Amino acid sequence: MKELLSCAMDIGEQMLICGAEVHRVEDSIQRMCLARGARRIDVFIITSSMVATVYTEAGDTYTQTRRITSTGTDIERLHRLNALSRKICCEAMTAEQIRDEYQKILGCKKYPFGLECLFCAIITGSFTLFFGGNFVEAGVSFVLGVCIQLLVTFTEKAGMNKIFIKFICSFLASSLAFLAVKLGMIPDIDKVIIGNIMMLIPGVGLTNALRDLFTGDSIAGLLRLIEALLVALAIGGGYFLFVCTVGGL
Amino acid sequence: MTATELIQIITGFLGSLGFAILYNIRGKKLIAASLGGFFSWTLYILLGFGIQSEALRYFLVALLLSGYAELMAKLFKTPTTTFVIISLIPLIPGGSLYYTMASVFESDLNLFLDNAVHTLELAMALALGIVATSAIAKMVRKKG
Repeated sequence: MKELLSCAMDIGEQMLICGAEVHRVEDSIQRMCLARGARRIDVFIITSSMVATVYTEAGDTYTQTRRITSTGTDIERLHRLNALSRKICCEAMTAEQIRDEYQKILGCKKYPFGLECLFCAIITGSFTLFFGGNFVEAGVSFVLGVCIQLLVTFTEKAGMNKIFIKFICSFLASSLAFLAVKLGMIPDIDKVIIGNIMMLIPGVGLTNALRDLFTGDSIAGLLRLIEALLVALAIGGGYFLFVCTVGGL
Repeated sequence: MTATELIQIITGFLGSLGFAILYNIRGKKLIAASLGGFFSWTLYILLGFGIQSEALRYFLVALLLSGYAELMAKLFKTPTTTFVIISLIPLIPGGSLYYTMASVFESDLNLFLDNAVHTLELAMALALGIVATSAIAKMVRKKG
């Protein structure tokens, strides 16, 4: 049972990191343990910490906690972890088998970095057009998208604070857009910046915050909401710093 | 449908596809999720023929598209998050958020307030739509 709880916590931890709602993770851990003969299980999860206690039929209790420090949305991994947790509920898997599958899932690939950069550029370019920009502006925005993705990857690898990264990105995007205006490529910076803001906005954070908040996990929801608002403020801050630097628009 | 609207539908779809790739969605789920982005803006424009209020249209689209997300999640046996996040991306009020920020420097309080209220309206409508559907879905799941 101890082994199983540890496996269940590992799976739950990764699910949470990959962008699952708190409710789903709590539910998964509960189901896994109950299906494997726990008498009772209490799980409490917020975005940065997990606690679970299992009561076995034999009368033993086991408690484990996890501290979660990183997040990184990865839907494919989430999908596979979810499938694994369902499988554990209905098939008799040994702890080793679960570990094996779990390691396999952790090793599953992301899209190649080049492709990610390309699609970042497509996002920023698309939304510049979407909000009424012309094709030249979309082109500038496209190039900026690549710059931002490079910057994000580089700074994340260096272990920089996520909120500060957004701040820098926002400042960089505004400055480069301004440069393009000065070079006479585009008439004004508005549409280009909007395209890049769409890229930086914490969409996953906000959506999950709402879903958590209104399904009864108010603490987790509030934490996520505040995190998302801080990111939004950082984006605004980057833009303000730029405007102050160039001395008004 | 005007050319601008057509461009919006196409770019909305492309934007959703881009995010779907960034979040590592694969296989048929990738197509289903990005199509959500396509449907959401198409629906928004179609609703525009009958409903004037932007916020109401945002609410309705969020409501229906979250429903679409729940259905797809059931179909692919995967968490709903996948489809909700991607489908509603074209509805994120990035433009109006930017104009709110920019109007801080116009030293025109009314303009700023107008923009801020507008952004908040859209965000609230979007949020309400998502929340309403997820509450309904939870009820349905419990019964079923």
